[in-house]
Amino acid sequence: MISGATNKSIDIVRGRLIPGSYLMENFKSLTANQNLGLAMFNSFRNAIVITILTLLICSIAGYGFEIYHDKGKDLLMSILLLAMMLPFVALMIPLFTMFSKIGLVNSWMALVLPSISTPFMIMLFRQASRSFPVDIIEASRLEGMSEIAIFFRMYIPVMKSTYGAAMTVTFMNAWNNYLWPKVILQNNESITMPMLVANLKSGYSVDYGMLMLGVLICTLPTAVIFFCLQKSFSNGLTGAVK
Amino acid sequence: MRRKLVSAILAATVVGSMIAAVPVAAESNDETLTVWCWDPNFNIYAMKQAEAAYQKDHPDFKLDIQENVYSDIETKLITAATSGDYSTLPDIFLMQDYSYHKDVTSFPDVFTDLTDSGIDFSSFSAGKLADSTVDGKNYGVPFDNGATIMAIRSDIVEEAGLTTDDFKDITWSQFMELAKTVKEKTGTPMLTTSGGSELVLEMLQSAGASPIVDGEVKIADNEVLAQAVEVYATLVKEGYMTEYTDWDQYIASMNNGDAAGVINGCWIMSSIQAAEDQSGNWTIVNMPALDDVEGATNYANCGGASWAVSSNCENTDLAFDFLKSTFAADVDLYDDLLVNAGAIASYLPAAESSVYQEASDFYGGQKVYADIVDFASQVPAFDCGAYYSDIRSALTDVVTNVVQNDADITSELQNAQDTVEFNIEG
Repeated sequence: MISGATNKSIDIVRGRLIPGSYLMENFKSLTANQNLGLAMFNSFRNAIVITILTLLICSIAGYGFEIYHDKGKDLLMSILLLAMMLPFVALMIPLFTMFSKIGLVNSWMALVLPSISTPFMIMLFRQASRSFPVDIIEASRLEGMSEIAIFFRMYIPVMKSTYGAAMTVTFMNAWNNYLWPKVILQNNESITMPMLVANLKSGYSVDYGMLMLGVLICTLPTAVIFFCLQKSFSNGLTGAVK
Repeated sequence: MRRKLVSAILAATVVGSMIAAVPVAAESNDETLTVWCWDPNFNIYAMKQAEAAYQKDHPDFKLDIQENVYSDIETKLITAATSGDYSTLPDIFLMQDYSYHKDVTSFPDVFTDLTDSGIDFSSFSAGKLADSTVDGKNYGVPFDNGATIMAIRSDIVEEAGLTTDDFKDITWSQFMELAKTVKEKTGTPMLTTSGGSELVLEMLQSAGASPIVDGEVKIADNEVLAQAVEVYATLVKEGYMTEYTDWDQYIASMNNGDAAGVINGCWIMSSIQAAEDQSGNWTIVNMPALDDVEGATNYANCGGASWAVSSNCENTDLAFDFLKSTFAADVDLYDDLLVNAGAIASYLPAAESSVYQEASDFYGGQKVYADIVDFASQVPAFDCGAYYSDIRSALTDVVTNVVQNDADITSELQNAQDTVEFNIEG
């Protein structure tokens, strides 16, 4: 991919693997063909906002399910987990109909809302909350802290590695999300990086050098985030409490 | 303090983004039309040029062109039709010809009937027009040409002691003889293919036959189809044609000189021309005709797209007039599209312009564009019905089983018939 981004289309087709000197030309064609800056901005904005909201909502939900534990909540959690089995394609048309009825089609709200609360993330935080020492909560209550303050000032700092893991997964999913944004957003100004890459492959004659560069640029942010948070990702998934 | 600042910035980002999340309403202007299409160097360019041409007489006219990959256009159409919310559809969209019958039959409310729109449909070739005509009604204005061509490497066939003229207006049995000579003398297979059933369907169309007869599926007991499958299998088994299941390898086989030719829709020329070092070594001829079939021709069609007007179009008069004045009338527009986008017209009068008569250096001085429009005008109409995709996929299984497993053609065609009928009933 990296070598391809520096070569001419015809050289890539002919199987050249050595890096070439065509990187700038590929970059020029890419920016002339597609609005790279806008796609980057949209992708970052969508992914950051979705990640922040998902972490906030799902961690509160997971915390609630575990700390204020009762039979009703267990049943609700099982139902939520069942919802995880449904593929998105099966939900797409009902979701579209719902947003269409409330007049939110082609709105940014419709893009964000279905992504910010996922059964998997709630489950992840619920499982991680099991290893959170209950003594801390009880001690904080004795100190007179409110329940909300306990969550924000005690729970979040202790669960850093879980947040790291959740952040990596959510950011990657939000960054790579293609189908739903494509269906619900209707104008060119909403273009994201995966849409841009898809556009590069849609022509009758594909410029492989430009395509490889597009894929490379699209992959970089998720790769960087993954490598930066690699440690907390593995710790978080195994439920370590620091 | 620092933590509070970070929290405040994050909160502001979230709240700010939510406030900015007001519905992004499409610009609604009486003189603005929204268009969906997919290739910046091809059909998007064409729409931009058409917009500029139409603006000369209608200065307030504007197009809002939205780039969408074709499969996404289909997904959006299906989502809109199934949810009953057509408000998301654009005024005009480009649709692949092979999808017309199925989509018009399955989702009739998506389309606007163009039959009485004032567009002169007789200026387009019958074969091309049939794709977007359902139950006698026109639903599309043909755009790019998909006439089948056989592109041949003149240097390779000359090395075998032949000329490219030997390949013009021939039958498949004559082609086999020539391919044998080329294979023996140069070691190069005559053709390359990306597999699938396209070539078989092109042979079928060139013979004026169809897998649909009087609205009924006719795959089994279809002699012409059986002959087409047999020709395909012989080409592969004798080594006259190499199959590549990967599209990129298929393109590479042309560019690398691993085959002396290719049969496909004329849009394949842009991929052939990517190998600039082969300039002057290619020639375009028509495809071979099936032997002993009454009315068999050397012409077929593969691919191409047409402009459809959606049911969400409020200003249909404007949309009709725009399409009528540009893609169904403007020869200068087609000249520009040929030179700058390599788009070969389906609009027959375009072939008479001087630009179409110009010789192409890449094809050894041949007037390829005029030749291709001439091919297009002779393509027999092809009734592929609403189940074209099912038929195509069932025939791909037939071709694979016959070529790879030496399966019996008759029983494979019967299986394909059963599969398609099962899909239709289901």
